Amino acid sequence: MANILLNVLIAFLVGSILFGLQRKIMARIQMRPGPPIIQHLLHTLKFFIKESSFPKTAAMPFYIAITAMLCVIWVAAVIVGPVTGGSLLLIFAIYALHKIVEHNAGSSSGSPYGKLSCVRAVFSAAAEVPLFAVLIIIYLKSGTMVISNIISYQTIHGPLLYSIPLAAAMFFVLILSKAPYSPFAITKGKDIVSGYETEHFGLLRGYLMISESIAWYMLLWVFLTVFVGGLSPLWYLAGMIVLTTITAFINATTPILNPNHSIMMQVSFAVIGIVGSIVLLLYI
Amino acid sequence: MSETIYLLYILSFVLGSIVGLVLSYRKYKAPFTIEKIDLLALALSIIGWSLALNSSLITFIPYYITITIGLFFLALVLGMRPGYGTKETFIGIIIALIIWIIRTVVL
Repeated sequence: MANILLNVLIAFLVGSILFGLQRKIMARIQMRPGPPIIQHLLHTLKFFIKESSFPKTAAMPFYIAITAMLCVIWVAAVIVGPVTGGSLLLIFAIYALHKIVEHNAGSSSGSPYGKLSCVRAVFSAAAEVPLFAVLIIIYLKSGTMVISNIISYQTIHGPLLYSIPLAAAMFFVLILSKAPYSPFAITKGKDIVSGYETEHFGLLRGYLMISESIAWYMLLWVFLTVFVGGLSPLWYLAGMIVLTTITAFINATTPILNPNHSIMMQVSFAVIGIVGSIVLLLYI
Repeated sequence: MSETIYLLYILSFVLGSIVGLVLSYRKYKAPFTIEKIDLLALALSIIGWSLALNSSLITFIPYYITITIGLFFLALVLGMRPGYGTKETFIGIIIALIIWIIRTVVL
């Protein structure tokens, strides 16, 4: 239990600081001073002392429960990942649930912005879930879905990043999709204010932001674990900083794509990644 | 145990950043325009980065306490109001790296 709490706290704090770092780097690229690195964390904590109000159009109690559900699924991801080294299939299931929660958070508020985000969440799930299916390529290569066994496999055969690079690229596109201000962040595009979060205030917004920070940490953790191998905490941190920096560069220099274009690009990446990886596995 | 230590490091960094941000907003009322180096921030940055990167030099206290204190000090400067503390941080990193190179490569 203490181990779970420790890992969840680390995931939340590191995820928040990485989001802050991303904003800082983006700002520097755009010739702005940018907010302090801990801004995202302070922003999250701020919502816990703000008044929580509920829209008249909200579908109760679903509107409230959805924020707790988002928190619970990403805490579960921490338990499956860093705590127990469990199955990647569970991580895949958690990600699929995340898309459903995004959809429901938007629809339960009754806001037109939330509803648009909800439609986009379903739309983007069609592209992001195939991207996450990259885990099948990992299974075909390593013969296992269990994270601890994948780490052992890489200790003997070297990082999977070298043997299935297209799969790693696909997973990176998925990570990019979850980064704020990314070209694929259509569920939270500024054209729909804050997307599915628009009508969640105070405490509820705080929970959503905590979940997002943990989700960011977990996605980076899964990438580093399954493509590079079991690392020491310092190397995990270094890897996460590198990945966050790369996403910040991409986000700072790319506009948010139109939803149709975003989905088509993601699907193209998924097709190229899956077919290319299978070809690589068969012929090399 | 190792996870507890890493949580300690992260908390120290976060607390240092918050304190640094609050204090720098009190100290500097205007947005960053001046090029002058803040000597106090420079000293804190050098101490912080040196302690964090060269914790093994201090043998009479456990390494994780040295690193925690170092992270707090370096975060104080790194977390200052936007624009402030950048030069001081770079100087701190360079001096800490020189000490690290002397300690591990030269000696």
